[in-house]
Amino acid sequence: MKHYSEDELTLYYYGEGRHRANIERHLDECAACAACYREIAGTLAMIATPDVPERGDQYGLEVWQRIRHRLPEQEPGFGWFGRFAGFDRFTGFNRFVGFAAAAAVLMLAAFIAGRTSRDAAAPTAVGGAPTAAAADRDNAAARQRILLTSVADHLDRSERVLTDIMNAPDSGDISSAQGWADDLLSTSRLYRQDAIEAGEQSVATVLDDLERSLIEIVHSPSRISAADLEQIRRRIDAAALLFKVRVMSDELRNRETHPGTAGPRAPIQKTS
Amino acid sequence: MDATESAAVLARARQGDSEAFRALVERHSRSVFRLAFRMTGNEQDAEDVVQESFLRAYKQLGRFESRANFGTWLYRIVSNCSVDLMRAKQARHDQTRAESLDEAIELPANDLPTPERLAQSAEIQRRVQGALEALSPLERAAFTLRHYEGRSIDEISRTLGLGTSAAKHSVFRAVKKLRAALAPLRSQES
Repeated sequence: MKHYSEDELTLYYYGEGRHRANIERHLDECAACAACYREIAGTLAMIATPDVPERGDQYGLEVWQRIRHRLPEQEPGFGWFGRFAGFDRFTGFNRFVGFAAAAAVLMLAAFIAGRTSRDAAAPTAVGGAPTAAAADRDNAAARQRILLTSVADHLDRSERVLTDIMNAPDSGDISSAQGWADDLLSTSRLYRQDAIEAGEQSVATVLDDLERSLIEIVHSPSRISAADLEQIRRRIDAAALLFKVRVMSDELRNRETHPGTAGPRAPIQKTS
Repeated sequence: MDATESAAVLARARQGDSEAFRALVERHSRSVFRLAFRMTGNEQDAEDVVQESFLRAYKQLGRFESRANFGTWLYRIVSNCSVDLMRAKQARHDQTRAESLDEAIELPANDLPTPERLAQSAEIQRRVQGALEALSPLERAAFTLRHYEGRSIDEISRTLGLGTSAAKHSVFRAVKKLRAALAPLRSQES
């Protein structure tokens, strides 16, 4: 009589394996194999499917909120156009970092180029004053436009971080928002300096307020308590920071599209 | 979301459209969590697996064959993320875990639960949980897919990227270890 191994009986238990009819017959006839099978089946029957904790209808949205700032670069696998089409969305964290770095480098290059060309133009100004002055104005205008665009983008990203913090669950993990805030912080300092140099005092003031909140977010524990989170939110509210950031971003966009409509102006006053 | 709409969303997500990917996340999160929890047996680990799986899925979307089933593809990613997480945990806590499992599984005879206590499923589940944690990550994943998820050996081998024989033997090893670990409970029952 051919006996069946424990492995064959395990497969039989799970409805797999060959010669199932033969095994079935054998188990009716062989006490040893039947006992072994009962032991296997009895043990496996004890291992009930665990109760999975409930997740509500909003769970998918919660997961999305947790990962959306951490989306990595997609690996190649589709065409050049697809990659390019995805490139301008800048929703992924890496894309954001890349964009911020590129914007900062671009702005720095523009400032250096502007200063160099102004210095170079100075000696010829006696003989050709109108041309040099015009070039100077063009350079200044170009630098201003780059600054406006970069700061407006920076404010939009900051607004998203602040909104995340305002809408975060009352306690829990804020590490992804902190990662964002940390990157924004260093860029924010650069932009504030540039804004001061460019005479954009209102922009510099908003960036200064923003920096304080970003520092507070970055230096909080990742697993933040409800009380600490509430304190951060209260300070954001007290400074009307979200309002200021939105207004300033809109204003800069407006100046981008309609140059010369408004220049540097006084800091935005807190309205509430 | 019907099939045509799903295909369109997937195509957009493959082109880097994060809003389309968001729709996929919202649609599949609960089933991903369910599998991750069964694989890891731990709510926090399952949450980590959910996030890591979607991040990996997004990164690898370009490799996804549009004719294939996204759910099946994602299922494979979740299974492998679970194995990776369990391996990482095992490496970190190997010593501590081994000690606690020895304690949990090899109780002296006089510490065995009474028949009355055995009737309490919570106690049985505690033992089962301890026994499951003693499995290697691959054994646990293969066993979960076979026992809880009802997957065939062929499906397990495709999901975990193993040969059929390796998948089969992972299940066999898991069953042997579980039988050994739970034998005291069986002898008390009979």
